[in-house]
Amino acid sequence: MSGRLGALSGQALAIVLALALGAVVVLAVGESPTNVLVTLINGAFGSPERIAGTLLQATPILVCGIAACISLRGGLFNIGIEGQLFMGGFAAAWVGFSFSLPPFVHMLAAIASAALAGLLWIAIPAWFRARYNTNEVVSTILTNYVAVLITSYLTINIFKAPGGLSETPPILPSAHLPELFSFSRLNWGLVIGLALAVAVHFFFQRTARGYAISEMGANPRFAEYGGIDIKRQCLFVLLASGAVGGLAGGIEALGVHHRFMEGFAPGFGFDGVIAALLANGSPLGTIATALFFGALRNGSLLLEVDTTASREIITVVQALIILAVSAEITIRRKAGDSTAGERRWKF
Amino acid sequence: MTVFWGCPAALPVEGRRRIAPAKHKSWAAMSLAIELKSITKRFGTFVANDNVNLAVERGRIHAIIGENGAGKTTLMNILFGLLQPDEGEIWIDGNRMTLPGPAVAISAGVGMVHQHFKLVPSLSVAENVFLGMEVVKNGLIDHAAQIEKTARLSKQFGLRVDPRERVGLLSVGIEQRIEILKVLVRGARTIILDEPTAVLTPQESRELFQTLKGFVAQGMTVIFISHHLEEVMEVSDTVTVLRHGKEVATRPTAGLSKSELVQMMVGRSVGFDRRPRKPGNGEPVLKVRDLWARDDRRLPAVAGVSFDVKAGEIVGIAGVAGNGQTELAEVIAGLRPASHGSIALAGKPVAGLSASKIRATGLAHVPGDRLARGVDRHASISSNILMGRQDQAPWSRRGIISRGYVRQQTEALIKRFDIRAQGPDSVVKRLSGGNIQKVVLAREFSTDARFLLIDQPTRGVDIGATEAIHAEIMRQRAEGRAILLISVQLDELIALADRIFVMFAGRIMGELAGDGVSEEELGFMMAGASRDKAAALVEVG
Amino acid sequence: MEILERLFNVALIVATLRTTAPILLVALGGSFTTKAGIFNIGLEGQMLVGAFFAVIGTIFTGSPWLGVLAGVAAALVLAYVFALLVVTFRANEVVVGLALNILASGMTISLLKAIFGHRGSIFGQGLVGLPVIRLPFARELGPVGQMISGYTPLVYLAFALVPLLILFYRRTRLGLYIRVVGEKPEAAEALGISIARIRYTSSLLCGVLAGLAGAHLSLGYTTMFTENMSSGRGFMAVAILIFSNGDPWRILAGCLLFGFSDALSLRLQTLGISSYLVLAVPYLVALAALFALSYRARPKLIRETLESMSRVLAKPVTGKSL
Repeated sequence: MSGRLGALSGQALAIVLALALGAVVVLAVGESPTNVLVTLINGAFGSPERIAGTLLQATPILVCGIAACISLRGGLFNIGIEGQLFMGGFAAAWVGFSFSLPPFVHMLAAIASAALAGLLWIAIPAWFRARYNTNEVVSTILTNYVAVLITSYLTINIFKAPGGLSETPPILPSAHLPELFSFSRLNWGLVIGLALAVAVHFFFQRTARGYAISEMGANPRFAEYGGIDIKRQCLFVLLASGAVGGLAGGIEALGVHHRFMEGFAPGFGFDGVIAALLANGSPLGTIATALFFGALRNGSLLLEVDTTASREIITVVQALIILAVSAEITIRRKAGDSTAGERRWKF
Repeated sequence: MTVFWGCPAALPVEGRRRIAPAKHKSWAAMSLAIELKSITKRFGTFVANDNVNLAVERGRIHAIIGENGAGKTTLMNILFGLLQPDEGEIWIDGNRMTLPGPAVAISAGVGMVHQHFKLVPSLSVAENVFLGMEVVKNGLIDHAAQIEKTARLSKQFGLRVDPRERVGLLSVGIEQRIEILKVLVRGARTIILDEPTAVLTPQESRELFQTLKGFVAQGMTVIFISHHLEEVMEVSDTVTVLRHGKEVATRPTAGLSKSELVQMMVGRSVGFDRRPRKPGNGEPVLKVRDLWARDDRRLPAVAGVSFDVKAGEIVGIAGVAGNGQTELAEVIAGLRPASHGSIALAGKPVAGLSASKIRATGLAHVPGDRLARGVDRHASISSNILMGRQDQAPWSRRGIISRGYVRQQTEALIKRFDIRAQGPDSVVKRLSGGNIQKVVLAREFSTDARFLLIDQPTRGVDIGATEAIHAEIMRQRAEGRAILLISVQLDELIALADRIFVMFAGRIMGELAGDGVSEEELGFMMAGASRDKAAALVEVG
Repeated sequence: MEILERLFNVALIVATLRTTAPILLVALGGSFTTKAGIFNIGLEGQMLVGAFFAVIGTIFTGSPWLGVLAGVAAALVLAYVFALLVVTFRANEVVVGLALNILASGMTISLLKAIFGHRGSIFGQGLVGLPVIRLPFARELGPVGQMISGYTPLVYLAFALVPLLILFYRRTRLGLYIRVVGEKPEAAEALGISIARIRYTSSLLCGVLAGLAGAHLSLGYTTMFTENMSSGRGFMAVAILIFSNGDPWRILAGCLLFGFSDALSLRLQTLGISSYLVLAVPYLVALAALFALSYRARPKLIRETLESMSRVLAKPVTGKSL
């Protein structure tokens, strides 16, 4: 038990260190760290609307983070969640504005098509990884760029709505995800994300397949020896991860924007990967880290209004946290705590 | 002449021809090249070398023999500075030395050719030989000079190599020559070879011996570690026998008989008694016919092996590690593809099937490398017990794991196999080696497989746990399972197996059956002698 | 026919060489880490900070050369942090590389805003690019002269580095040790070569070239800095490194392929094809190459089996009886 507490306090220490480094960066760009911190907190939690905004920002990070958790637990890196999110978002929007279906059915069809689009988008890299061991990190990263460009092409050259903006026609209300409160765009997407986190947690803790995938991530040679079909599970893991990534895009399109547009949801995919890494691949832990990053994002909106700092300063802080945590583990390992870090990031 | 850059000891190689033989004649014949006094080395509670003395005369070939785990390699690693002794003294050429690392040993004229070669495949022979002490001219590596010097050295010592060739394309025998050249170019006067013939063909071995004899003729000293009795008899001047970390004897080779040597090596006092049993007579469960397979380097490792394992019998596979036993086990378990041949399990052909299908047909497997394959060290005992049957009722139902059942089974197995752990949730890596092995056995022996494939069941396991594991294997035999037992420990095989096949260089050299198996006979066959020849040698001895 | 003529001419070759240079520089940098056995996904970020600080340095000193120096220094800092975490702390290469990329992206944008008060891009404001080198004898060579003259110095450097790197790996101790550390670390260890020191060195060498690549992007290829202007070139370089295994010639071949597809796609734009589709071409080429070459590298089981059988049959079957 003390080991677990120690690990947590070590991680907290790493985050504090990263925040201190972040403060240095803030000073470097000519702002006062306390001012930035106060503005961030105010921007993230200052009013019910802002809290709802934080949750709204946390939702796609959470869903993308779950997508990342699935691949990380299987010992794989799906860095293409950003691209799957774009494809899913476009697919959902297309189903949303092109067809007219009964209300609830329409929404389900749009969500399903988002997941399917994400799955198809990762299918080729996934197949090559499973069959020929093609490095999935690079292939999924490269598909991000293609996804962004293709969805932009479809949006602007094929489906552009009349008017000056680079966006598709609006999604019909029958496909919208219902909003939770009247004062915010916060919608059922958050509920879907939370339910998904619990479901994926259950999947890894309690199902035979989840067990097989976790063991493949922990010790592939043991899994192979135990009769687990590595290639098949590998394909499954990446496809599932891609589908959840696509789902994140669908939620964003159907719940928040009600259309697809250029620069649709920048950086949520990467934030998701970071949130999952910080949570050590645990879906429930990702709820907490996604909320943290959602608050940073939402707070940074006010930051951009009230100070001269750019909101990208928070990506710097996020990156510093990941770097600090990655180093913290090894320091503790060297200090003789043999349990520290061994499992982390080997998944 | 080009100067050797950073190679202080290179010149003596050329100078030795004139100087060394003279030394040899005058005083060196009596002097000792190497003297190890009362060396003790412990790893935790395990004593690898226990008060070992070794005196190696200059200009001689000195063999060190002993079983696996007798402490030969540890002793040589101490002499080469790779390990530091807990007690004892090292004397080289009459000077007391402390060897904090190989660099000091090398500069004192000691070189070592390891069992596992450390060559870089994409580099040429000459580049490998000079790696770490390159000939540099104008800031650039002078390949021509390196090639020329390698060629000269290879000619001087009769180690035929083409200095320009890429090492990745060469055979193991030539790789070994390159390793020897690496040692020579660093100016070694005493060369240690760790199991040099384990990887060689007979022809290559013979060439190696010629080379070694050439070395001592030029005044150098050779220490070589071996299992191979006939080689030791043929090539060495002196033999030191180690057993269980202790020096048993040092004798001149001339006048020693092979069976004397085997007796010293194996020892009468140790070894388990053969366990009492009634001969079984079941139908064959496993049939292997003309099986071929490759190792990780994609070289042939199993070469045309055929045998049966019947229900209710234990078939042992003996052999020095690295003669294809591990690969054989992996092919049978479906973890390595067979190049050719057939395997039938319970009457069904299983070669080429996936590991899970073979398991479902009736295989349980205790892998040789338990930490790499046998367990997930970071997971709990119950999680490890579950492996392989997570899809079967009652372990899981409709894809959902029955945690209560897993826990209850794990608790029962912990009790039955006497696994010393707090409970089913204990993390495996916190257990001792013996207890980790018991976790593997508990999982595999609690299946209803008709065939058990057991690879090195007691490697690194203490005596008490070994006893328990052996008793459990015998119980499985009594239950009518067919068991294939692979072990490098002869006493274990003799105690447990009904029949023993001896593997050497990927082939089965012969079969020994029943109570009449002697360790001598086994020892000869493991060293590559055929059945008839081994029997003859035992009689002569 | 006319279309083909419009597409393929000397100008296309010139454009290919121009687009090849930045990715070639960064890929050659990655060759050091690849050869040393490090999977360096952080090239993208090193290139980006190189581009940014080259611009900053130029604006503040007025000299593009000092700008290049600043860009290289910034990339070196990132490369040092990468080595520190990956080599000394043994942290996961992918995690550290990704985090550094994100850090680079966020930091450059934040600084952009802090210094210039706005995001997006900077140009003008005293920003001068690297001078163009006109080879004196080029005029007499006609079209060939057109092809080889008139580039910024870093383009020439990029192509000159290919044979230099080959020389480096074949003929210098450091180059040799980098290869040994990557290919067979236990051999390096046995010979007393410090694996950590070699990995640090190769990571820093990589930082130098990635910084130069970035500087070329903002001072040679264009004369401006734009948010995330490396736009995946670092990742494409990693793809090239995976299938070239870090060999300079193959890196050159791969980079020329991308340079060509890049240049060609810019041309296609003039034919009225959507710029979005056209811009996707280099990424698709990278993916196609990655997949095609990993398919080719699959284990050749059948061939090996035949070989093994014939080998054993050719040799008389003998036990090891002496």
